[in-house]
Amino acid sequence: MSDVVLRTENLTVRFGGLLAVNDVTLDCARGRLTGLIGPNGAGKTTFIDAVTGFLPNNSSGRVALDGQDVFGRAPHVLAHDGLTRTWQTLELFDDISVRSNLDVASGRLTIPSALRDFFRPAKAQERVEEVIELLDLHDIADRQPRELSQGQRKMVGVGRALVSSSTKILLLDEPAAGLDKSETQWFGEQLRKLIGEGYTMLLIDHDMGLVLSVCDHIHMLEFGKLVASGSPTEMRNNPVVIQAYLGHSGADR
Amino acid sequence: MANRPLPERIAIVLASAVGLAWILGALVDRQVFFQPVLFGIGTGTIIAALALGLVVAYRASGVINFGHGAIATYVTYVYVSLVDTGDYPIPPLPNPVAPIEGIFDIELFDIPTMIAVSESGTSRGIAIAIALLTAAALGLIAHYAIFRPLRYAPILAKVVASVGIMLFLQAAVVLRFGSRAKSADPIFPNDPVDFLGVRVGQDRFWLLGTVVAVTAALYALFRYTRFGIATRASAENEQFTTLLGFNADRQAGISWVLASVLAGAVGILVAPITGVTPNLFTVLLISSLGAALLGRMSSFVVAAVAGLMLGVIDQELFRLEFEFDWIPDIGIRRALPFLVIAIAMVVRGETLPSRGSITAERLPEAYAPPITRWRLSAYGLLVIVATWVTIFAPFQFRAGMQNSMIGVLFALSLVVVTGYVGQISLMQMALAGVSAFAVGTFGTDVGLPLVLTLPLAVASGIGFGLLAALPSLRTRGASLAVVTLASGLALEEIFFKRPGWFGLSRTNKVAPTPEVAGLEFGPSSSFFLGDDKIPTGGFGIFLLVLTIASCVGVMRLRRSRLGEQMLAVRANERAAAAAGVNVAMVKLTAFGISAALAGLGGALTAYKLGTYTGASFGIFVSLSVLAFAYLGGISTVGGAITAGTLFAEGIGIIATNEWFIDVGSYTAYVAGFFLIATAVYNNEGIDGFQRRQFFQVVNFIRRRRGLERLDLRTAGPKRGSADV
Repeated sequence: MSDVVLRTENLTVRFGGLLAVNDVTLDCARGRLTGLIGPNGAGKTTFIDAVTGFLPNNSSGRVALDGQDVFGRAPHVLAHDGLTRTWQTLELFDDISVRSNLDVASGRLTIPSALRDFFRPAKAQERVEEVIELLDLHDIADRQPRELSQGQRKMVGVGRALVSSSTKILLLDEPAAGLDKSETQWFGEQLRKLIGEGYTMLLIDHDMGLVLSVCDHIHMLEFGKLVASGSPTEMRNNPVVIQAYLGHSGADR
Repeated sequence: MANRPLPERIAIVLASAVGLAWILGALVDRQVFFQPVLFGIGTGTIIAALALGLVVAYRASGVINFGHGAIATYVTYVYVSLVDTGDYPIPPLPNPVAPIEGIFDIELFDIPTMIAVSESGTSRGIAIAIALLTAAALGLIAHYAIFRPLRYAPILAKVVASVGIMLFLQAAVVLRFGSRAKSADPIFPNDPVDFLGVRVGQDRFWLLGTVVAVTAALYALFRYTRFGIATRASAENEQFTTLLGFNADRQAGISWVLASVLAGAVGILVAPITGVTPNLFTVLLISSLGAALLGRMSSFVVAAVAGLMLGVIDQELFRLEFEFDWIPDIGIRRALPFLVIAIAMVVRGETLPSRGSITAERLPEAYAPPITRWRLSAYGLLVIVATWVTIFAPFQFRAGMQNSMIGVLFALSLVVVTGYVGQISLMQMALAGVSAFAVGTFGTDVGLPLVLTLPLAVASGIGFGLLAALPSLRTRGASLAVVTLASGLALEEIFFKRPGWFGLSRTNKVAPTPEVAGLEFGPSSSFFLGDDKIPTGGFGIFLLVLTIASCVGVMRLRRSRLGEQMLAVRANERAAAAAGVNVAMVKLTAFGISAALAGLGGALTAYKLGTYTGASFGIFVSLSVLAFAYLGGISTVGGAITAGTLFAEGIGIIATNEWFIDVGSYTAYVAGFFLIATAVYNNEGIDGFQRRQFFQVVNFIRRRRGLERLDLRTAGPKRGSADV
């Protein structure tokens, strides 16, 4: 197994005349937290949508997962292949409990397994309970997402993305949006904890403080193009980043 | 044209080619080619005019109004009644002192059914004015009492409310005027004229002119006036338009009045030509839905032209079937709206414009109660009571029980597909019909035993259900409702009305007496318990076993992982796909299970009736099945059981008739009313309402005893952070 879990090669997304993602080639290393930053409208979310198979008619290029080309597969197939994501707008299943939210994502349902489950339902999915333990969701496992705080809901989103035992990499789309300072810090700690457990993640966020403090490696998009890559320290001092993203607010945030 | 999608381009080219061929043909032989055009314009203008009203209502509030045809019908009857007798009909009102009257068998006061406007029929002008005012009032009520409160509600609630309007108004018409056709003196002159060598009544030209003028007026209104531009803007983004100082709400109200008046005018103008029956306009509405969908529910011109074309093509097909023997009379003509809608869906795909407003309100909860000893005991008690009623109750109660059990199956079929997966199906009875006819074919005509016939019948239902479900992979929401409605109509017209496997044997279909190993248990087979009046207990037990099995099955489905995936699809298709759910498979599975349940219900209906025709499985029955299922509670098994008791001739209705008052002919009217009320005020139906009441009582008692409050959902103490 190589050290690169996810690699995109020349990934391009077009909406009519608009080039939303322009020829992006980047890597996400195993066991690392990779960051993807960029100003509003840089194409970050579009990039994730294309990688996870939601833009089949608008995207081209190559997406390699553990060296295997998975470009063009349907979203649910990609999820089983180990490419899972969260959403900026959360998109939790609001009508079912937190436990069921995780349950849905916990593995492939085939005809025999669906029938077996129908006739003798398993008491609880072991993997689901593991994730509930890992993310400390015990107290809210029987509640519905609409009853939770924003931070708790974000964690449920993360839990749903990593509950599948085949998960190889998690793509987190602006998970800190809408969180306050202390919640963000707590959230960053949770992410480091997961990295410590051996997970691989790609983090998209606006909060430079969060990205610079938790990521191992950072890429930057601007107008759909990859304009800079490097370690947090390198990025902090990269004139392109300072100019385009941080602007005159400086790198001291 | 250049940036239209490929299928659309192909469709445009094909349509142009057909049109051109037609015109060339007309130059060669006028009689043959102009006649259907001229004859078809009559129907075509009605379809077009109704389609225009649909588009107005959709642009105003994003609602596909299934009640639009019923509004036209109601207003037409008001007009006809005023002209004929001078009476203005009052819709049936509840008598507040009815219980007292019933107990003491007296009549305290009489609620009027008609107000006499004049002694012997009003003048035409006055009648038109009053009828159109009635239409305007209906539009205002539809907006302010129904669709405005439903602004942020899920589409399901809107569809159900508009179906409720349809049932309510049609029932009101039947109650006041009976179901016979009515007609009136024509408004437009209809002396025949010669046009290009064809002799036709000139009224159709007047109608055509009116539709063209109305289309142009609507186009201009929405294109150039401040009102029209603001309405278009609020369809894009209601909040922002409101911030700009427009009253989006009042605009929608005005549009609803416009749509209703348009519907009423259609009725008044065409009533003399066609004569009007209570469901005439609702049947034509299906064609209009096709036309409006071709115009993406937003183009007046496309909707009007498509509506006219539908009328013409209908006549042309009629001519072809008449002229050429080799064209089989397979009801293609009647299935035309379905074909148009199917094509519209394939060509236009999911591009129906949705409104830029938030739909924040939740779908009815698919409550899965925790299994406690109390609950199991309650279920046991319910089964014992049901068994007792099935065998020992007086015969009319036994009949009601049997109707209810079949009703439960129909409601369950909707719980799976609509309650769990959120896909609106208006074709359940058509699937039931397929299975019912299969029972006659395999059981009587082929002579197979029950153990083969029943599975084959259910499998037929599943087969057709899956086929009809294919469009659901491309459409959702209200457009899916339209597709399923049209599919149901197509099944009915193509199969149920003529001989065939899934149709009649000669003039009807006969089901065999159900028997296994020489033991007969049909509705009239003798049974060793209870009295020997028909229906006997044996058939009831047969139904009871299958119904209980289905209920338990659906309950387990809800708790299974497949059930969770279904609810995930209902909540959010994109997120479900990202979580690894194969959305297409889950939807198809749900449609398959739903078709199986509807098919089982249909097959049992066949055994119950013995001799039957397609009339028991028409689209209006499908609509009322949805109505009752929603009323009972669309997303729970308890709701399906509640719905079963309410079904026409169900145990609840029978009991009400026997013990309290004779609901009889008022069932559809009352059901329509409560359906609207349920959609607007309580989307979890009677079942959810009872559940909340029950928990309130429980918590009241617990508080008195100093105990913790119970959570409604888990029936355990409240836990977690949110509402501490």
